[in-house]
Amino acid sequence: MRALRRLWLRAWNVVSGRSGQQRLREEIEQHIALETADNIRAGMTTAEAHRAARIKFGPVEAIRESYHSEKGLHVMETILQNCIFALRMMRKSPGFTALAAITLALGIGATSAVFSLIQGVLLTPPPYQKPDQLVLVSAVRTDGHKMDSTRGWAAQQWMDWDKNATTLQGVAGYTWTFNFLIRNDGSQSMQGMKISREYLRLMGVKTVTGRLFEDSEYGSGPVKSVVLGYEFWQRVLGGDPQMLGKTIRISRWSSPVTVVGIMEPGVRFLPAPGASKEPNYDVNATVDLWIPVAPDLKEMKSPDWNVVARVRDGVTVQKAQQELTVLTAQQAGSEKTFEGFTPQLQTVSAEMNQEGQKILLPLLGAAALVLLIACGNVSALLLVRGLQRQQEYAIRIAMGMGRGALLRLIMTESLLLALTGGTLGVGLAFGAVTLFKLIAIHAVPRLDAVTAHTAVLGWGFAAAVLAAFIAGTIPALRVLRLDPMEVLKDGGAKGTAGVGERRLLRAVVVLQTSLTLALLVGAGLLIRTMAKIAAAPSGYDTSKILTMSVTEVQNQDQAVWNDFHHRALERVAAIPGVQYAAFAWGVPLTGNNWPATVEIEGQPPAIKESDKIALPLRSVTPDYFKLMGLALLNGRAFRSTDDEKVPRVAVVNKAFAGRFFSGQPVIGRKIWLNGRDKPGMEIVGEIADGRTDDLTRQALPEVYLSFWQAGPFSKHLVIRIAADPSTIVAGVEREVRSVDPSAAIENVKTLEQIRDDSLASRTFVMRLLVGFSIIGSVLTLVGIYGVLSLSVISRRRELAIRAAVGAQQSDLRRLIFNEGIRVIGGGVFFGVVLALISSQVLSAFLYEVRPTDPVTLLVVGLLFLGVGLLACWVPAWRAEKVHPIEALRYS
Amino acid sequence: MAQKTDVKQGTLALMVLKTLDVLGPLHGYGIARRIEQISGDLLSVNQGTLYPLLLKLEHEGSIDSDWGASENNRRARYYRLTKVGSRQLQSEVRDWQQTTEIMARFLTAKAEELG
Repeated sequence: MRALRRLWLRAWNVVSGRSGQQRLREEIEQHIALETADNIRAGMTTAEAHRAARIKFGPVEAIRESYHSEKGLHVMETILQNCIFALRMMRKSPGFTALAAITLALGIGATSAVFSLIQGVLLTPPPYQKPDQLVLVSAVRTDGHKMDSTRGWAAQQWMDWDKNATTLQGVAGYTWTFNFLIRNDGSQSMQGMKISREYLRLMGVKTVTGRLFEDSEYGSGPVKSVVLGYEFWQRVLGGDPQMLGKTIRISRWSSPVTVVGIMEPGVRFLPAPGASKEPNYDVNATVDLWIPVAPDLKEMKSPDWNVVARVRDGVTVQKAQQELTVLTAQQAGSEKTFEGFTPQLQTVSAEMNQEGQKILLPLLGAAALVLLIACGNVSALLLVRGLQRQQEYAIRIAMGMGRGALLRLIMTESLLLALTGGTLGVGLAFGAVTLFKLIAIHAVPRLDAVTAHTAVLGWGFAAAVLAAFIAGTIPALRVLRLDPMEVLKDGGAKGTAGVGERRLLRAVVVLQTSLTLALLVGAGLLIRTMAKIAAAPSGYDTSKILTMSVTEVQNQDQAVWNDFHHRALERVAAIPGVQYAAFAWGVPLTGNNWPATVEIEGQPPAIKESDKIALPLRSVTPDYFKLMGLALLNGRAFRSTDDEKVPRVAVVNKAFAGRFFSGQPVIGRKIWLNGRDKPGMEIVGEIADGRTDDLTRQALPEVYLSFWQAGPFSKHLVIRIAADPSTIVAGVEREVRSVDPSAAIENVKTLEQIRDDSLASRTFVMRLLVGFSIIGSVLTLVGIYGVLSLSVISRRRELAIRAAVGAQQSDLRRLIFNEGIRVIGGGVFFGVVLALISSQVLSAFLYEVRPTDPVTLLVVGLLFLGVGLLACWVPAWRAEKVHPIEALRYS
Repeated sequence: MAQKTDVKQGTLALMVLKTLDVLGPLHGYGIARRIEQISGDLLSVNQGTLYPLLLKLEHEGSIDSDWGASENNRRARYYRLTKVGSRQLQSEVRDWQQTTEIMARFLTAKAEELG
């Protein structure tokens, strides 16, 4: 009962805290007054009486402290008081507070922002049941040679695995499909997955409304029912609840299909390597359409399927890999077309995160460096400030404040500072994530799902507390060995720093400098890479070219199909400002082509399936080469008469001629797509090489087909214009729709944009590294400046004595510059070492620049040395202003 | 059961309570003076422990306090014993008497034996 009453009283005292303080003060005053009166009565003078009373009373501060320990809920109240005090101190020096808080905010903001990307992209598991058990099965050559293009598996093979593999719970086949939802006012593209019966059960996905497919719906005939993706349903159909049971019309399918269900949100494609060659394919997109299919009994041996499998509980991927390798070898023994390939298993998450990891992990490293630099800076700031406040601390200790209490007070100050910085930093992170999503949507896969949410807040604050701990501990620990007498005796001299402290500060700044240098080297390497790429010969012209994917979705008849494209080209070419217009499947840098196995005249026929020559095919209308600026080296380009009525022709590039005919003339040679017994294609022209696949790679052998003969389903309309491309977009759309109102027009982009997108991940990493290194550099320069300033202040006496005994101003300046150079030089040295190690992680982004590029190292090192010396200038100038008279003042 | 408390503080609390019991309401300074007087100036009351002790006693409900006027008409805080306080005083006095008796017996017994 008594304990309860006491607790209540204490709690009440916390609430009515101020009156208690007041009461104590009054009581002490009374006590001294009464004692003084008694002393006077005893015969002392007034002054003596008061003095005696005070001395007898003893240290007021200690009494208050023990009074406080009695008065309130001790811990809570001390914290509250410390906070109030810390806030007052922060308000008293707004410059310091702002500098420290912003420094921390930059570090925390950068780390939190990058972390929220990592959280959203890498750490959020795919929305499948137990995703760790899911493995993708891809085909590699048994002899270990690299394959020219990807290959799938035959239905017969994966169905056999499903039946016989003991390490697997199940195996499913899937393929990618590209279609259009037909609407009279311009059609909508749909990317879908064709899935085998096992797929949905294996992945463990659900619908939000409606149902999944029944077993009877899987077949090889025309599709009757589909499930729509949640995002497509929302985006295109406005989330219409009446869609279930309705039919929709889809291009290339003769009869309408019924929507039986809507998939749960966030279900994305599984990687389908071959599909990436199609326009519009995006492995990171959510699936628009699900189609049930069963392997066609006539096509059981065609390598048409991508395969996903689920390993059994407790079975490792290696174990499953071993079993499948054995099974596949057995299959190859009995079936010739299966020879030469072996399965390779990789978990779905690993495959999906491959790209993201490559981009985000170096950035996380860079952000962590910024955080470290920021922590270094803040702790240097706090240390300098701690030195300036030594007198205050000494007085507090002399007044009877315990060292523990003082330590807590100082730690509270840095913690509060860190929380301020943390709050700012989290705000900054939110802004940064929005910015990242704007500039990096093409660079980082699945970025659309990233949000800065509570996890970021948590991490930001965790980082803040850690930062406070690191930044606050060193300066705070100092008070433990503070000798109040020494400090007070020293009188007016503010901010003396011992040799140990100056050494510590210098070490912090050397560390900061080296971290910053590593960042700068990273940024420098990428800037050089971008410059090299810009200077790389692409082989074609990227300026003033507008592209868009245009698809005629209604007709399958080749004659009608040709007619649409002829008329569309004519109309578009007639628009004022248009120089050339062409249709093409395989626009540069879109990754879009038709990988096919071909046979080439003069090359030995492949014995094994895996030895067949696989090449990217492209298909273009006659003006394409002129439009792109790809020079015709030999023979002729396509003519508009190269249509289905005449023998098929092809144009190849120089790389093709070089690889397969090594300098011999290629015109008139033949290529076969479907075996040498069928009529082949005659090579009629040879064009110059272009880096159409990747700007950073040498041109690959290419084969171009005549658009009118190949009749590709998906393609781009490519237009070269004299004027600003954006001005004619509406006109082009109008002309195309006037030929067929249901035509789908999508992905309107200039070739410049396509080029930028293809470099997006490099650009993104470069921009972030540049941003991080600017922040790091500024912080480090502030750090160098701070250290030297402190050095000058604490060495004033020494400098004054030096001046008094005859040192010149230039000598004093040199003294400070020497210290600066030692710090910066040390930083540059360690920085170069660190950069040599850390820049290795960037090698995936580099082009024609080695991670150890000496030019970058030299330029960055010299640059930093030069700029760092600028930071020395003001302190050095101050040093030389020290007057010899000051030496007298100290003695 | 004997409480394990700081002896000095334990005795000070008893002295404060006894002083208030005998002399009625008093301010802090008065209490300190009286204790010093009664001890024949052998004791000097440390103010640093007196005021927190007064507060502790007040929190425990042994004493109560109010502002009042001192002899020379200054405002001062007067402490007086509560019922809880009297009971605590009685029990502590009993304890002390017992303790001193025992101690005395021990000390004399020892002296006789030695003699």
